[in-house]
Amino acid sequence: MSENGIDERRKLLFRQKSMRVASSYLRRIAALGNLPESVRPFLDVLKQVSVDFQPVSMIAERKTVGTFCLMVPPELVEAAGAVPVRLCSGSYTAYSIGDGIAPRDACPLVKAVLGMEEMGISPLYEDCKLFIIPVTCDCKKKLAGMLGERRPTAILSVPSSKEQDSDTEQFLRELYRLIPVLEQYTGGRVTAGTLAESINRRGYAQYEMSRFFTFRRNVPYLLYGTQAMAIMNALSYMPALEWGECLHRVNEELAGRLAKRQFVARENRPRILITGSPVTFPNIKIPLLIEEMGGMLVADETCLGERSLYDPVVVTDRSLDGMMRAIANRYIRPCTCPSFVENRQRIFRIRQMIKDYQVQGVICHILRGCLVYDYEYQRLEEELEELHIPVIRVESDYNEEDVEQLRIRIEAFIELIKRRDVVRKKSGEKVL
Amino acid sequence: MACGLLTVAAFFAKDFVLYDFHMEPSDYTFRLTDQPRPDCAVSDVWFDYGDGGKELLIGVSEEVSLEDVQVYTLTADGSTAVNREELSSNQAELMSNYMIAVLPERLKDINGDGNPERIRDFARADIGEPAFNPTPQIFNCEDIPFELVFSERKYIRVFFHNQLLTEGEITVTSADGSSKIYPIDSRGWIGGLPIRDIREGFTAEYISENDQAVYRMQYALEDYPLGGLHFWKAQIPLLMVCALAVIGIILIQTVRCKTERDTPAYRIYSREHAGFYPGTSLLEKTDSRFLLIRWLCMLTGMFVLTYLGKLTGQGQVGNEIAIPSFACPFNMDQIVEMPCYYLSHLPNLLLRGGEAFPMRTVRYIVLFTVTLLLSFVFLGRILCGFLCPAGLIQDVMDQIRRALHIRPVTVTDRMYRILQPVKWLWIVLFFGAFFAGIDFCDICPLKVFNTAQGGFWTNLYLGGFLAVIILVGSFFIRRFWCLVCPLGYLMGLFHKYNLFHLKKDCVACTECGGCYEVCPMRLKEIYTERETENIQTVDCLMCGECIGKCPETGALSFTFCGKKIYSSDRMTFLSRYRTMQRKETPAEAKREEDHDE
Repeated sequence: MSENGIDERRKLLFRQKSMRVASSYLRRIAALGNLPESVRPFLDVLKQVSVDFQPVSMIAERKTVGTFCLMVPPELVEAAGAVPVRLCSGSYTAYSIGDGIAPRDACPLVKAVLGMEEMGISPLYEDCKLFIIPVTCDCKKKLAGMLGERRPTAILSVPSSKEQDSDTEQFLRELYRLIPVLEQYTGGRVTAGTLAESINRRGYAQYEMSRFFTFRRNVPYLLYGTQAMAIMNALSYMPALEWGECLHRVNEELAGRLAKRQFVARENRPRILITGSPVTFPNIKIPLLIEEMGGMLVADETCLGERSLYDPVVVTDRSLDGMMRAIANRYIRPCTCPSFVENRQRIFRIRQMIKDYQVQGVICHILRGCLVYDYEYQRLEEELEELHIPVIRVESDYNEEDVEQLRIRIEAFIELIKRRDVVRKKSGEKVL
Repeated sequence: MACGLLTVAAFFAKDFVLYDFHMEPSDYTFRLTDQPRPDCAVSDVWFDYGDGGKELLIGVSEEVSLEDVQVYTLTADGSTAVNREELSSNQAELMSNYMIAVLPERLKDINGDGNPERIRDFARADIGEPAFNPTPQIFNCEDIPFELVFSERKYIRVFFHNQLLTEGEITVTSADGSSKIYPIDSRGWIGGLPIRDIREGFTAEYISENDQAVYRMQYALEDYPLGGLHFWKAQIPLLMVCALAVIGIILIQTVRCKTERDTPAYRIYSREHAGFYPGTSLLEKTDSRFLLIRWLCMLTGMFVLTYLGKLTGQGQVGNEIAIPSFACPFNMDQIVEMPCYYLSHLPNLLLRGGEAFPMRTVRYIVLFTVTLLLSFVFLGRILCGFLCPAGLIQDVMDQIRRALHIRPVTVTDRMYRILQPVKWLWIVLFFGAFFAGIDFCDICPLKVFNTAQGGFWTNLYLGGFLAVIILVGSFFIRRFWCLVCPLGYLMGLFHKYNLFHLKKDCVACTECGGCYEVCPMRLKEIYTERETENIQTVDCLMCGECIGKCPETGALSFTFCGKKIYSSDRMTFLSRYRTMQRKETPAEAKREEDHDE
């Protein structure tokens, strides 16, 4: 058999295996029950990307720019006329390919990205003729180097600290440098007008997301957290405005459910927040396990979840420079990525979420090799101890071998919260 | 280095002349009038002013000749008689701003009963700015047995044979020719005489009970009515400052573009003149009623402080009430006292009531200090954000910049640190200049604005040039002056006790820095603070802009007496984008239906 033939066969196997994993997870998300009909479009997008390996229909005709992490401003990419897609991958199959390329201790997300790139069958990756990679953690830094050898890649330097104003100024200069690169790729032009337009579009998505989260906050619950997680994941592959419009329909449906008092689960499910390393479809096993074991994932503090869209761009001066400055600030200052030297904001953000969502337990998800999040675990544990919120550290990898072990730990954790709840109710203490 | 230069320049403040009105008494012409007697002048000698200013006219009726008139002037050595020959040859020189003309005693029947009365006629003129001097200027001269003295910008005191009259009646003929009888109250004032009548000129008539003689004095203060020639002349220095500021702004913007030409940023925004495309709009509405209220407050504050005293003709009604803000007290019809003058000329405060009235002085000082402290403690810098006319000017400059689509200069934390010594220097100058023999008003950059707006003539020295710098500065950096304002610093000192507070929920904050970007004082603490909810510092103007730009529900709030009156809210912040939702076209709606089927 020719070498080409082996390659073809490998690709076929890869495709089949990926499809099997991704579609089983999609089924499990839907099988949680009471899936709102309006969430389907989001699952369809995930299906197109991870199961069918087809171009996402919504952006099929448009130029796409592959981005990683949170720090590449989608506003800027959209203003230049392209659609930003976030390529941070959660594919187990791609991970096993990437395992041979990246060093053993590299994080699975980077391995999966490298695996996808190696296989070259995902139209999502192949359609991106430009990658923008921010230099955040060590793994992303090396990823930038390795991808840079294969295709046009723009490196975005991110300051490692944000104490001084000069840090954001530096990032602002970086963004200005990025504009000609984007324009050359798209043939479009970043002007004050297009930039304002893209800020508005993303602002709309943020508006709908904020409404969505008020529904998520509702007890008894209107929707499963894993389904919400899937919605947030789909944002990676959709333009902000379209995503916002789809979410608008979800909001309408949830408003209807609320009016009809049609809840998906009783309020006695322990409310759990997940934080830590990115949770990307199809690596959605932990959110699924939480909800399958009788918990309720009420909120997430992860970079492919709420954090990817949460902070709005605060424009204080309407000139082009004013908007650029606002964008630079938005992607540096409130960012709770642990790759920054000092990241106390993340603890405060989690504390606020615990208050907003009445969280009863926190699961800190650490991908194997994701050191930056692991460093922050101890601080998180100390802070949460003061608040009497139980927290566990859950380490996982991009495979299904650790599922049973995770299941036991998560089940025990949920039982612990339930028991605490019962003890508190008996002693008459106010439930958190 | 800049601080050193400023200090040195402050010593020679008077040598930097931007505009000089030449308002010394010697610059006045003093001559016999040929105009008819004004309605208010009942006496046979009177003073009047020329239309264009800087002209004092003396008039006598036909019954008396100019030869009979003796004119006295009040100098540092006391009252001095003016040479009669000079006067009749129309070449008299004014030696001070206070003049009294005296006619000898005559017999004349003025009430028409057939018996002639003994009459003494006088006329008094207080010329130029000193006409607004709160300290009473008393001639205390034997030749002038009947004297009226304007004091504290609102009262007329009556002296008879150098004694303060505390009882009796005075007939006052005001500018429209009408007469009214006023009692003299126990403090020696003509009780209830409106300030408008005093300003427009009047004649007071007193009949002595001892000798049944009639004493009449016509009083002519130099008044500066709104809209007159004098008012328009007063705008000249303001226009000069504005013109220089325009040149400065163009110069700086040009230099800025030249130096930045090679940066990637400049290449991007120079493509559309660093501006904003017409036709597209960022959905950035001023959804905050709070900010609207602030603008209304500032505009009202400017109007009230500048014009209300003039328009009502009441002048400085609350002259003991000190409301700290940088409305210049050289706009002497300000309705309340602006403490910056007395704070920068502390010894003058002690001399204010004049030595003759120690009780008045004490009363004034007590009221002044109490109201000043009350404003400092309970209001603090909210006055900067909501009232100060100098703040309004800077905000207007900022709005002009926005309208012209010119980029602002962002004050970074480094620049902020550099500005701190400048602030300290201004504080030292503010309190210390008087003792070093410098008049702070000569270096004050804000003197020109309110004074000219009020129609008062003001000479511009070093302060005029600094005013240009302030205007140019506030064009690029909003509230440029407030960053270094010495009075504002004093007002901020008691921020802990203010009734109004800016509070922060440190947990809710995401440190997005929107508040910091919009803060005119560039207070970094507002977003980095994580310990205490009291984030107000000595520099916070309480303008509330940060709250409107805060996307976190309840993270920032404005409180009055501990009660929240205005809070940030996420949904309010984001709801501006709601309109982005596309209306579904009929085709799309149909497709949806098909899909459902």
